[in-house]
Amino acid sequence: MNTKRYLFPIAFLLLGLSFLLNLSLGSVWIPFGEIVSGLFSSDWSKASWEQIILNYRLPKALVAICAGIGLSLSGLQMQTFFRNPLAGPFVLGISSGAGLGVAILMLAGSAFGFVLSGVNSWAIAFAGVLGAGLVLSAVSLVAWKVKDSMTLLIVGLMFGSAVSAVISVLSYFSGAEALKLFTVWSMGSLGALGWSQVGILGMLILIGCIPVFGSIKSYNALLLGEAYAKSMGIRTEKMRWLMIGSTGILAGGITAFCGPIAFIGIAVPHLARIVWKSSDHRILFPASALIGAILLLLCDAAGQLPGFASTLPINAVTSLVGAPIVIGLIMKRNFSRDF
Amino acid sequence: MGQNKQHIALEGKGLTLGYFHQKSKKEILSDLDFQLFSGELTCLLGPNGVGKSTLIKAILGQIKPWKGEILIETQSIENLGVEELAKRISVVLTDPVFPGNMTVGQLVALGRTPHTGWSGKLNSTDREIVEKALSDTKITYLRNERLSEISDGQRQKAMIARALAQDGKLMILDEPTAHLDLVNRFEIMELLRDIAAQKGKAVLVVTHDLDIAIETADRFWLLNCGTPLISGKPEDLIISGKINLLLPGEKYRFSVERGKLESEIQDLRFEISGPKELVFWTRKAIQKAGISEVKSPILVEKDPFSISLGEKKFDSIDGLIFYLKIQIDPIK
Repeated sequence: MNTKRYLFPIAFLLLGLSFLLNLSLGSVWIPFGEIVSGLFSSDWSKASWEQIILNYRLPKALVAICAGIGLSLSGLQMQTFFRNPLAGPFVLGISSGAGLGVAILMLAGSAFGFVLSGVNSWAIAFAGVLGAGLVLSAVSLVAWKVKDSMTLLIVGLMFGSAVSAVISVLSYFSGAEALKLFTVWSMGSLGALGWSQVGILGMLILIGCIPVFGSIKSYNALLLGEAYAKSMGIRTEKMRWLMIGSTGILAGGITAFCGPIAFIGIAVPHLARIVWKSSDHRILFPASALIGAILLLLCDAAGQLPGFASTLPINAVTSLVGAPIVIGLIMKRNFSRDF
Repeated sequence: MGQNKQHIALEGKGLTLGYFHQKSKKEILSDLDFQLFSGELTCLLGPNGVGKSTLIKAILGQIKPWKGEILIETQSIENLGVEELAKRISVVLTDPVFPGNMTVGQLVALGRTPHTGWSGKLNSTDREIVEKALSDTKITYLRNERLSEISDGQRQKAMIARALAQDGKLMILDEPTAHLDLVNRFEIMELLRDIAAQKGKAVLVVTHDLDIAIETADRFWLLNCGTPLISGKPEDLIISGKINLLLPGEKYRFSVERGKLESEIQDLRFEISGPKELVFWTRKAIQKAGISEVKSPILVEKDPFSISLGEKKFDSIDGLIFYLKIQIDPIK
């Protein structure tokens, strides 16, 4: 009980440290002290450091925090709602939907022999949001008809597969250059965003979190299954819409701006359960948000190869770094029993 | 008749229930009338597939009646919202869904869900009710145990404590003793009867445990295909023979003397004499072995136990049955 009280302060401390680490690592090493004094009193010892931090590394670190929070929260919602430890933010086909939007933007031109001008990051984000929204609306239509949440899960997975197949067809017919562009997008990137886009992403995360805080009690009741939740006065139908809306905005927005980022959404809620040894969502929501932000900051830092100017794609790093950690933790504990 | 002084917690009037399956209508229960009294443990008995679960779902407001209505203290449940209904009825279901990480205390606290604000935070009244529910079910010592680390019987008590903390006037339990051993079955049912009697709650239990239901229930509801719901004291139903309505066909019969279900005794041609309880068990063993005729009279004696058949003497029923079987079919 005593150690539990310190978990949140420790997590906040870790968040601060990984934030600084993330800012200081890169092609140029910038000392912690310089960053702190630079950020708080605009007192930079080198003008280039100010440029690097303010225009490149700071927005990237903020995006990492936003994406970490958003993906973890949507993953936690999905896992509890579907009572399934393997559910993640993308089970309802959201990332495939965003992928489809982007694929159409990048590949369709070359596949059908015309040129779409203006493939910039705004257009990509817009196409991603549009695609995610489209698939989400289709899933919602089904959700409106089916009563059972397990059916909804399966339908979501099927939609995802079907959409991926369409992307494959587009890839098959498109030119090498466009294909390379799309492949790079699908590896995910946190650093391609300017300040205005970071602002929009932050807004989306805030909006997506509102339904989460509104339904903490309902998620706790749902731990006992849909039937018990209903008997305790929870309107599970209403919750389903809130859940679809929230994960759509969170995961859809993040995928649109950063590309797909695997592993965080599925693994972080489990890490939160293991570390805090709790299934209470009043603890799990903030805990998942913190761990998600820390983990994505660290993954991004790990992707900064020392001495090289380039970074590894974030989607590869999250899986490479994260999967062994989670496998190790899960092997130690009886995972499905703790869920 | 004439017992209308009792407080009616739940009442069904001309209730017809059914499902729409694709385009065909399937009627499950028709024109049911029932009254559930406060302070009583009522057991709902009936064969599989007769519509017990359908009736429960209707009471929980999950399916709408085709005809008739269900009233909770003179208010139709259709006019009550989900939240209002949750404040009046709590349930314990058969399927064992539970998160292993949750402690017993947290589970019981979840019972307060319909009464708390948006975050589910408990106030001092809520905490008192949770404490009371834990002590009433005698599981206060389990408060900090995780659900994955306690026995099935303890977990079921915790589920009952959760339902108790929900603090409705009605508690409905769907086969709460299904996975439990004999002692736990008795304990759970007695706990439920105490809850009904001491807290004045109306407790409705769906069960297939006829023996334990007879021992513990204040009232039976018998549900059978095509007949109206029969309600009454278990003892009245046994004496009037109505309890046999639960048993389709002629093969089984409820023994009024022994208070339990027995195979219909076939035409038996043997004589046994001796102390009553010894005769009973000896007869049972012979009957079970499929032997319907024994030529010479059997004498059973107590202290020391012995069975005489003509000049033969046996010190166990096993010996007697073995001998009789050889007599009938020597090849074996």
